[in-house]
Amino acid sequence: MTCHEFRQAALALTLRELLRAQDEQVREHAGDCRPCGDWLQGQRELVSGLQTLHHQTAGLEAGAHVERALLEVFRQGPRRGMRPTAALRSTPVALRLSRFFEVGAYAAVAAAIVVGLFLGFRIWQDSANINHATNQSTSPAIAAPAQPGTSSAQGTVSAQREPALEAPKTAVLQSQVRPVHRLSSAGENAARLGTAPKAQTGLDADYVALMFCDPLSCASDAQIVRMELPASAAGSNDEQTRIADVVVGDDGLVRAVRMVN
Amino acid sequence: MLPTEPTDEQLLAQALAGDEDAFTALYRRRQGPVFRFALHMSGSLQIAEEVTQDVFVFLVQRGHGFDPSRAALGAYLFGVARNYVRRALDHSYSESLLTTPVEFEEQALVVNHDPSDGISRAQASTAVWKAVLSLPEHYREVVVLCDLQECTYADAAEALGCAIGTVRSRLHRAHDILGKKLQHSAAAAPGINATAARCLS
Repeated sequence: MTCHEFRQAALALTLRELLRAQDEQVREHAGDCRPCGDWLQGQRELVSGLQTLHHQTAGLEAGAHVERALLEVFRQGPRRGMRPTAALRSTPVALRLSRFFEVGAYAAVAAAIVVGLFLGFRIWQDSANINHATNQSTSPAIAAPAQPGTSSAQGTVSAQREPALEAPKTAVLQSQVRPVHRLSSAGENAARLGTAPKAQTGLDADYVALMFCDPLSCASDAQIVRMELPASAAGSNDEQTRIADVVVGDDGLVRAVRMVN
Repeated sequence: MLPTEPTDEQLLAQALAGDEDAFTALYRRRQGPVFRFALHMSGSLQIAEEVTQDVFVFLVQRGHGFDPSRAALGAYLFGVARNYVRRALDHSYSESLLTTPVEFEEQALVVNHDPSDGISRAQASTAVWKAVLSLPEHYREVVVLCDLQECTYADAAEALGCAIGTVRSRLHRAHDILGKKLQHSAAAAPGINATAARCLS
């Protein structure tokens, strides 16, 4: 018999059956295997203690006053049955107060859970919107002004674009500064998150984030403005100008720039 | 021909019909096991009396809900007592935070103590009882029912509302834990171990 089989046998038998050791194999194994023998010895001591305890408490019964109190309750009848006076336990005021605070604590925890769930849902919703906008922005919002008048410029945010976006290139050149694309309201949250922050973080290869600029916060509006810049701004020495899209925050500071041609 | 003793169910039916003698007979027949169960579970005579009282008040007020086809009355009363013990221990624990902790009452063991056995036998019982009281509740219940109340596994399973296999495995695990606890306490107090060894001989 292995130790595992010994334990299985011990599980199958009641404690007293086990200690009678009628099973020869169990007895032999307990004699041969020291750990199992010690375990069996411990169980014998336990049974001895339990039996002693059982015998010592066998005659204990509830006091006569319990029976009297119960008979009083019985005489009152089941409907009028009240708790006997002997069993009334006065609840300390402090305990009642602690119950009150306990309930308050439960309510606070429940409120915290509700708020947490709400915020978690909002964060999840925002991240889902970001992903959605990212998927749509292979050409969208910011890429659209790069080729005004082309079919790609009729992308998902074309409805948000102002008429100037569709203006001829000459007009753009003359106007010097022309708002091309305004990203603002809450309804445009997805487009905003998918464009301006991307320019700030450099995820969009076309836009170059300007150094030493504070990044746009999630709540701020960004505006993309098409404008002429001197070629020297792009590191060239010629006298010509270049058309560029710049991302302007609502504080008027430029955050990123992209050369259109 | 001797008149047969009425069963528990008959006594309960008569008691619920308003027969005070039947109620008294039922109480006297069943209060001992209920009281000892509560005592073994709580270690407190006061809690044991309160639980006994509560159980029979419950029986008077809601005894109509007892279904003899589902369990014997003894197992049913153990099940009710189990809930009241749990409630009383929770209540005692709450109060102990404000007043004093519920002390284990060793005087309960002195009632049937035989002086010829010496003090160390009582010490062994005390050590066992303390070990039982330190068990988690679901293990303590099966030890009290099966080892101290000598219920069958089936009765214990009915009282606890679980399967017989669950009772068996819990009991085995509880014995394992108790054995280890007693070994530790024996190492701390060698006299108890010696007593236990003497009990075996």
